[in-house]
Amino acid sequence: MKKKLVSLVLASCMVLSLAACGNSATTEAPASTDTQATEAAPADTAADTQAEAPAAEPVGEQTINVCLASEPASLDPALNSAVDGATLINHLFSGLAKWGLDASGNLELQPDCAEELVEGVTNDDGTVTYTYTLRDGLTWSDGQPVTAGDFVFAWNRAIAPETAADYGYMFEVVDGYEDGTLNVKAIDDKTLEVTLANTVAYWDELLAFPTYMPVREDVVANEAWATDPSTYVCNGAYTMTSWDHNSLITITKNDNFYDADKVTMNEINFYLSDDANNQLANFENGDWQMIDDVPTNEIASLKEKYPDEFVTAGQLGTYYVCWNVNEEILPASNTLTGADKVNAENEVRNALALLIDRNYIVNDVAQGGQVPASSFVAMGLTDADGSQFYQNAGGNSFTGYYDVTEDAYESNWESALETLKKYYTFDDATQQFTDFPTLTYLYNTSEGHKAIAEAIQATFAGIGITMNLENQEWATFLDTRKAGNYSIARNGWLGDYNDPISFLDMWTTQSGNNDVQFGKGDNANVKAYSLDITDLGYDTKVENGTWAETYDVIISDIKTCTDTKTRYELMHRAEDLLMSTGCICPIYYYTDLYMISSNVSGFFSSPLGYKYFMYCTITG
Amino acid sequence: MNTKTLMYIVKRIFLAIVTIWVVITVTFFVMHAVPGGPFIGEKAVSESVMAAMEAKYGLDKPLGVQYLTYLGDVVTKFDFGPSLKQKGRTVNAIIFDGMKTSAKLGLIAALIALVSGVILGSAAALRRNRLIDRIIMIITTAFVSMPSFIMGSLLLIAFAINLKWFPANGASKNGLVLPVLTLSLYPMAYITRLTRSSMLEVLGQDYIRTAKAKGVSGVKIIFGHALKNSLIPVITYFGPMLAGIVTGSLVVEQIFAVPGIGRAFVNSITGRDYPLIMGTTIVLATLIVIMNLIGDIMYKVVDPRITLE
Repeated sequence: MKKKLVSLVLASCMVLSLAACGNSATTEAPASTDTQATEAAPADTAADTQAEAPAAEPVGEQTINVCLASEPASLDPALNSAVDGATLINHLFSGLAKWGLDASGNLELQPDCAEELVEGVTNDDGTVTYTYTLRDGLTWSDGQPVTAGDFVFAWNRAIAPETAADYGYMFEVVDGYEDGTLNVKAIDDKTLEVTLANTVAYWDELLAFPTYMPVREDVVANEAWATDPSTYVCNGAYTMTSWDHNSLITITKNDNFYDADKVTMNEINFYLSDDANNQLANFENGDWQMIDDVPTNEIASLKEKYPDEFVTAGQLGTYYVCWNVNEEILPASNTLTGADKVNAENEVRNALALLIDRNYIVNDVAQGGQVPASSFVAMGLTDADGSQFYQNAGGNSFTGYYDVTEDAYESNWESALETLKKYYTFDDATQQFTDFPTLTYLYNTSEGHKAIAEAIQATFAGIGITMNLENQEWATFLDTRKAGNYSIARNGWLGDYNDPISFLDMWTTQSGNNDVQFGKGDNANVKAYSLDITDLGYDTKVENGTWAETYDVIISDIKTCTDTKTRYELMHRAEDLLMSTGCICPIYYYTDLYMISSNVSGFFSSPLGYKYFMYCTITG
Repeated sequence: MNTKTLMYIVKRIFLAIVTIWVVITVTFFVMHAVPGGPFIGEKAVSESVMAAMEAKYGLDKPLGVQYLTYLGDVVTKFDFGPSLKQKGRTVNAIIFDGMKTSAKLGLIAALIALVSGVILGSAAALRRNRLIDRIIMIITTAFVSMPSFIMGSLLLIAFAINLKWFPANGASKNGLVLPVLTLSLYPMAYITRLTRSSMLEVLGQDYIRTAKAKGVSGVKIIFGHALKNSLIPVITYFGPMLAGIVTGSLVVEQIFAVPGIGRAFVNSITGRDYPLIMGTTIVLATLIVIMNLIGDIMYKVVDPRITLE
């Protein structure tokens, strides 16, 4: 009790300090609140299915109280870009496909509004056409029939500039995206025909993405439709019965839903709180059965206290440190120029990456069950043969680009020192480098990021590298990092779907997420990158080219490649090129932490944080 | 009320309007000068989306034009515009929802603080240096020096987690009991101490001695003379205090998940939700200005000797 009391008081102090830096979710996994992603569960991580509860009769009318986050920014399927909003939309809307569990409890894609998830037909021009038939008797919550035309409308609406949807680009695989009108047609009320620009490996997955849910034209004509239950017309397993803003959203089972017989949970109360300590208090006193956030500093004790309730699930994301590629890091005495200089810088950055003790950061600093990262493309994304992409990365005897096992740390350290000694003066007496320029590490204000920054700072200080820490408030930080006004910055990324391209296409020159500034500023004219993919049947062979001549080329090749095996090999090559720069220094793969009462059964979640309550029952 | 007082009030109202206008202007330009924007996130949105959003909300126009448009909408229509973050909701609706909860919470807390503070303060003063005075002083010292996040956490652990008498979230039944208590303890303790010291001072005055000498009953002395005169400092404190707690407390709202205006205010700033920043700032500034004005006028009511000019 005493310990708990002290920790709660301390935690509250953090509430105050957090007041200055925005919602608490930004402290742990910034991308998780601001972005969302589709996912597929790799076979071995599968779904995080709640252990089967002992057979007991469900008690009374089934209502579950849960808390994912604070007020969702939007519950309009096109406008939502958050994981918590996606969970709500998955309960309220029904697209062509959905995520569900197969007989053995693994996540799989299932047809939802579509009768079946058909194979595409490749046309002469390389485009691929899919023809879907909608189920019989699909209705909106106001009783009107759901038609193929509703999908056509919703999809075109999502890409229209005036809709200003963050996730409009999820439709870029559909033919016609570039021209502003998607090649999607309602043949009749029940038949939908969509044509993709080329084969897309993750197309079925996109169909289950919230942005692909149908909406009806007359409903969304009212701009405020998605903020009030009386105007919220949906077609999913639930309807919205009340929304007390910033406080509580209640959704109730939709008896007109085609699959209503399988929906066991009658009512779900989504309480809206972004305070992890408050969520925990409500979980501990039994009011809420599931909470999606836990106080970082209590993780260790919660794991011990609630072994059955505390869940650490996989997530398709990477926490990493990024360098500004244009930052000078060689000593003042350096005489290297051109490609030699760039290669030296790449070598130095990669050496520094080896110095970081990821196991220490994961086990003693972050403490959230994260996995030390050895590549940028996160754990959980699958390779062409269904194995883990990250395990095949780097082409080494170990997994990824560095050996991040605890045993390898010492030899990593030795080889890093050896590399650094090539470029910097090392004083053997003090075991310190004497001419390493001072670095500045930028992070957004939060205890968690600060602790990781300090761990890295201490490591570098041990060999005479001074790294100052600078923190900025969230929105300012994003601005600074995007503009490239930093030397080193913390960063994080969650994939949009289970395909490595969602981690790789962000580093093209023109990408809005190119925080490293590849191909920008001074780097635009740097000719130091090499790419040879002639063995894969392409005629690209560049030695010492610019970023645009190499990386941008391979990414566009990946996007048009129709052979799965070649495509994945290209993605490995792209990651090799990316990692060779040393500008991306992965720290750990994200995990999704949540707590769920042990008397709830039938719950499952996906690696990118979607939670499914419709098939839950509460016993005992 | 004489003309002098009336003139004073008119002057004060005029000054209040000027104050609010200055607040609007400064906030508007400082807010836009701060780096970051409402549409920037961990994942970049495309340039066309960014341009479409800026055009939709008029953020593509020159700042001066935006300012004049905004001022016009606020003055002529009381329209604070749409929220940039909570899509589809207006700032007016968000503020109304938040203020509903915060005002309810704040008014109840203020009332509890005032009534119990005055009673306890008077009791302590009348029983000066006795046991009851000591106990009241110790407790109020503790409450005054304990920040609300500690008080809130303690109440949460005791009454929501261990005893389970009240829920830990504001959305549930009886969910506002603990936040009200947390909010009221500090001002209650403060008012107790103010009342005690000021009543002690009043009780030492000649007119009280005179009343006693004339044989006026103790009850009449306290309620007829002492209490009224010892409330002046309490009134000074009460106005701004009321403004402070009805405009929402971020800490209490976070601890107990209360959907008040404080959270909306802080989130609007971190999210660069410009219209919501402006709306909440204006409402909070107006409330504080009004409460101060009422406090000043109340002096006059309590003590006619005070001249307002």
